[in-house]
Amino acid sequence: MVLHMELLNVTKVYPSRSMETHVLRDITFNIHEGEFLCIVGPTGCGKSTLLKIIAGLEKPTSGLVKFQGEAVTEPHPKISMVFQSFALFPWRTVLQNIEFGLEVQGVPKKERREIAMEFVEMVNLKGYEHAYPKHLSGGMKQRVGIARALATDPEIVLMDEAFSAIDEFTAHTLRKEVTEIWLKTKKTFVLVTHNLEEAIELADRILVLTSTPGRVKSLVNVTLRRPRRRGTSNFLKVHRQIFRLLKEELEQSLGHHHLALHHPNLHHVGHSNYFSF
Amino acid sequence: MKLRKTLTSCLQFRRMSPPRLISKPHKLLDKILWIIPLASFFVIWEAVVRLGLLSVHAAPPPSKVVIVLLHCLGDFTFLSKVLHSFLNLTVGIFVALFIAAPLAICTGLKNRVDLTLTPTVMICGSLPDLALLPLFVYWFGPGSVAAILMAAICAFFPIYFTIREGVKEIPADYFDVSMVFKASKFDVLRKIVLPATFPNAVTGLRLAFDFVWEIVLAIEIIARVTGIGWLINFSVESGSIELAFAGIMAIGIIALTVDRLVFGTLEEKVRRWT
Repeated sequence: MVLHMELLNVTKVYPSRSMETHVLRDITFNIHEGEFLCIVGPTGCGKSTLLKIIAGLEKPTSGLVKFQGEAVTEPHPKISMVFQSFALFPWRTVLQNIEFGLEVQGVPKKERREIAMEFVEMVNLKGYEHAYPKHLSGGMKQRVGIARALATDPEIVLMDEAFSAIDEFTAHTLRKEVTEIWLKTKKTFVLVTHNLEEAIELADRILVLTSTPGRVKSLVNVTLRRPRRRGTSNFLKVHRQIFRLLKEELEQSLGHHHLALHHPNLHHVGHSNYFSF
Repeated sequence: MKLRKTLTSCLQFRRMSPPRLISKPHKLLDKILWIIPLASFFVIWEAVVRLGLLSVHAAPPPSKVVIVLLHCLGDFTFLSKVLHSFLNLTVGIFVALFIAAPLAICTGLKNRVDLTLTPTVMICGSLPDLALLPLFVYWFGPGSVAAILMAAICAFFPIYFTIREGVKEIPADYFDVSMVFKASKFDVLRKIVLPATFPNAVTGLRLAFDFVWEIVLAIEIIARVTGIGWLINFSVESGSIELAFAGIMAIGIIALTVDRLVFGTLEEKVRRWT
């Protein structure tokens, strides 16, 4: 595989009043061209921050992100993004939303309309091109978000919890469609998710992050044949392997915050009726 | 502070979705329902005067007022007075919009500018506009300049606060989208900030339009600036009460027409996507 993107010792520190909070520490890994990479980790491990740094939306406190050998300090036209909240503009129709990237990049109206229509078909939204987002379901909104991200012909598509705000049944279909799009377009996909099954279903490789501050815990190759079905023994084997890694992290972070469990408020919750059977 | 409270409640009111009807709404019936209380008001008024419960000199019956008003429609002086007030008011609102909108966008986008400017704006907004009236008349004379400036000051605050609120409520993700696609600053303003705040701007203008009538009439009555307020005041002083009522009715008709035609259309446009 061709080396596409490199992250070298990426560290992110947020200054706060009392102390500096390390969100990410010394993250080093590569993204290969055309691969589907998933990033998983315990909550608050800085997965989304990492994705924003890859997108050039945030600057690392130290370290370097390189895309095709050049340092990324701001968003790159060949790196696109899909958002958990969809982030569609409600005043634009489906077609106009998909066109947005092309529009601000100065593609002539006729041309960008044609391209947008192409992607409307790719994400199976034909017939809805003139609908406003308020008339769409969550799954349909994310289809628009994916089409918008693809319309500018990026090489890397970053997805921040792209399936998390959608009901499971729709997400299931959408993941299948995204896999097809990925196979067809041969673009690099990077998905941040807290859903381990989702990561195993989609990924060539899974980057497991540690709990705060996020470090690279492990990079797991997923060699399962596609299409992948949850519940097969091989699938479960990979699941167990990564789940163990995540569990270790969770236990460690709980141990680390051991005192917090004895906080009077938590103590109170522990004895409330909800927990006594 | 009081103004702010009014504004927030108005904003909240706008955000409430229209009630969902279980049965299919009767389009025509729903559109004319508002006439019922208005018509009943006029019928009761007419009856009260006709039955002699109210003196004809104090309050002429509405039928008579309507006749006077119809006569006035052919009267150049009357029409010019109405037009005068309406122009002062409209120009005032536009002056306010052109100052308030850019300022509100700046304070809405840049927290530091907001922290610097908005307290002062709030203090100025809580001052009663009427207190400035004599000063403005003293500075600019009892004419259109003073009326327009008073109207602009009155319209400024609702427009400023609603637009600022709208800008502040733009989700951060929208700006991330613009950055991912490398949109220029101008494009962000034109394609994200302006359309995103458009609904709030409509609300602000509508509030301003309601507030400004008061101040325009006040300056016409108190400082005798020419306009419909002046005419109403003059009619009452010279004893032609019907004419005063005709003037009030003309204001009502204009306010209603503008509300339905201008703001109704704008809100219809906004409702397509909100």
